[in-house]
Amino acid sequence: MKFLSTILIQTSRNLQKTWPSQFMTLLTVSLSVLIFSFFFLIYINIIKAGESFGDDLRLTIYMEEEPVVEMQVELVRKITNFSPVEEIRFTSREDAFNKLAAQLGDNVDVLDDLDPSFLPPSIEVLPKKDLSSLTQIKRFSEYLSTLPGAIKVQYGQDWVERFNYFTKLLRIIVVLSGILLILTTTFMVAYTIRLAVLARQAELEILRLLGATSSYIRTPFLIEGFLQGVFGSSLGLVALYFLFQWLEMHFTGPGFLQIVDFTFFSPLIIGIIILASIFLCTGGSYSSMRKFMRI
Amino acid sequence: MVEIVRATKIYPPDVVALEDISLSVRKGEMLFLTGMSGAGKTTLLKLICGIEPPDKGMVEVIGKDLNRLKPKEVPLLRQQIGVAYQDFKLLPDRTVAQNIAMAMEVAYLNLKTIKKRVIALLQQLRLEHKHEALAGNLSRGEQQRVAIARAVANSPSLILADEPTGNLDSKTTSLVMKLFEQFNSWGTTIIIATHEESIFRKSDHRVIELHSGRFVQSEERTTTTLNYML
Repeated sequence: MKFLSTILIQTSRNLQKTWPSQFMTLLTVSLSVLIFSFFFLIYINIIKAGESFGDDLRLTIYMEEEPVVEMQVELVRKITNFSPVEEIRFTSREDAFNKLAAQLGDNVDVLDDLDPSFLPPSIEVLPKKDLSSLTQIKRFSEYLSTLPGAIKVQYGQDWVERFNYFTKLLRIIVVLSGILLILTTTFMVAYTIRLAVLARQAELEILRLLGATSSYIRTPFLIEGFLQGVFGSSLGLVALYFLFQWLEMHFTGPGFLQIVDFTFFSPLIIGIIILASIFLCTGGSYSSMRKFMRI
Repeated sequence: MVEIVRATKIYPPDVVALEDISLSVRKGEMLFLTGMSGAGKTTLLKLICGIEPPDKGMVEVIGKDLNRLKPKEVPLLRQQIGVAYQDFKLLPDRTVAQNIAMAMEVAYLNLKTIKKRVIALLQQLRLEHKHEALAGNLSRGEQQRVAIARAVANSPSLILADEPTGNLDSKTTSLVMKLFEQFNSWGTTIIIATHEESIFRKSDHRVIELHSGRFVQSEERTTTTLNYML
């Protein structure tokens, strides 16, 4: 208890003396956390949206002729042998026509002069949810196009590919902002502690002569790093939360945000971000002490 | 309390500060270390408080051989030794009270005790009105008294004072000496390095003289001291 109170007094004394540089470091840490968590928030929401879009993913195989029952059994066997699927639906020419008519609603009369068999028969394949990567979908689609009687396979290639590139780009941005977070927090905290150590060299020397233990001298610096991590990350996350609220308020309605159903970080992710920041800041402080403190 | 056996200290390139010194100081003893400037008094005190290691020989303080002391044991030993440095080693941007409190803070004494002791020491050294003054704004004499207060603040087993009255008038000198006598009467071992004859002239305590890094024999000392006085 005495140790703790003495160390806390020493820490508050240090903070009072070096508050301008500490404040600047706090802002830098907050900004880094804000930048990183902003892109990370977009990324995880996009991934989540991708997963929900993935639930609706279906591959449609347009066939030359309607497969007979034996052929249908054979096709199901071939498809499931290649990849397990949720469901396989066979659509006849007539079913396709009726479906189109239903979709046209009041404008159904445009079909009046058309032959009800003008649409090709098709097979709808609903893949399992674990079939998520673009490569897997492409490979499955290529296989399906080799099935006997298949003319064409469609699954919204363009959209899936664009979405895939977008998530890839976001992933790169998240990684880069993560690196930025690591570098800035570690270096800024290390630099601040270095300045504090150099500015207090005389004091540390006297403390050493008076019999201060290594933990008495080092712990306040570690606490400073710890506090930078706690307050820096919290401030960054609070700023992000307000930004999130503002975006929600101003971009609600029919638009991208509504499709995506944007949500804020779960308490677990918030905890992880704060813990990571604490780890980085305390690590920065520790490395600086190892380099510049001769105790 | 202090055992020094054939200790030698040479500063590079070849300045012999202490040569083949042996000294034994009993627990509760008060000892005056005298000699001219450059005789080796400060070096000897540095050896005793472990700031400098001897190049040869053995130094044992409070039962600990300093050559064999583990790094972790150094702070604990230093907490038991109060040192009043010749250059004071105060923090000029801290108040007098904060400077004195430092010695007790490193030993994790509680705040109440620290405050009480600081006030008591300042009263004893007639510095109570300087409690909140910055150490850098004090006169050299006042700074010296603050350094002495800090040295005794933690009630150490051993007090080392390097020229503790160098900047003091006779009245303040007697105040400081009274403080040392008081601590000595409580059983604290005190070693005072000084070249001021007036401090130890009438004292019953042992006086050892250093000359060019060696102890002067007692008969020899009388002559040297007389020469020094002349």
